[in-house]
Amino acid sequence: MKTLAVVVTTPPYSPLTVTALSYVETALVAGINVIGVFFYQDGAMHANENISIASDEYQAIAHWQRLQQQYQLPLHICITAAEKRGIACDSIDNEQINKAFTVSGLGELVELTTRATRLVQF
Amino acid sequence: MISSDTQIEDNLSQNNGLAIINSKAPFSSDYGKDALDVALIFGSFEQKVSLFFQGDGVYQLIANQDATLVSIKDYLKTFSAFKFYDIEDIYVCQQSLVNRQLDETFHIEDVNVLASVEFGLALNRHQHVLRF
Repeated sequence: MKTLAVVVTTPPYSPLTVTALSYVETALVAGINVIGVFFYQDGAMHANENISIASDEYQAIAHWQRLQQQYQLPLHICITAAEKRGIACDSIDNEQINKAFTVSGLGELVELTTRATRLVQF
Repeated sequence: MISSDTQIEDNLSQNNGLAIINSKAPFSSDYGKDALDVALIFGSFEQKVSLFFQGDGVYQLIANQDATLVSIKDYLKTFSAFKFYDIEDIYVCQQSLVNRQLDETFHIEDVNVLASVEFGLALNRHQHVLRF
């Protein structure tokens, strides 16, 4: 079975993230096996619970959360990238981290890449 | 004409794992360091990884640079450890060097300087590509 893994390097307020979300959702609706999304570089900012985007703007984080719940889509954030951007990852029940996201390391990116037929970066 | 359909198919049928394209200058952003971290992790998990340098990314290979002069951690020094991680396939775009009037003096050994077509073909031999 063909598998897809996605890497997101753009922050939640970036228009490029909208493209990533549309792509992933379209793949999921089409029944493609999306094995996970890895958030690297500024992408790690998605897991920050303190980010608040004006209500009339695109709510990228809420959309990722919805896809995670609806499709059990694994969302991994890179711990080094997250900590560098002010998200403390010292404990699992940290209220600063959005619960839809799993704190992972770059090893998870290796895992996803080796399991994926195709890897797409945004 | 180097690329025939057969050659492209041959390229696609090979699986050389991950290609990382470095396209940014070394000290004006985190991209070079972030790409290096990914390369070393793949190397330590014994996964095949090749490095491509293109555009301003070629500045990452130029000899005699000292990041500490601009108060940045000198991550380029770590490039010399590639062989310990079995990262042996390193390619640089010749045209990018020419455009920037850089000569082929690099701070690591065994760098393959490739013309645009060969650079593209080498990239094509990989299943996955990440660009930084």
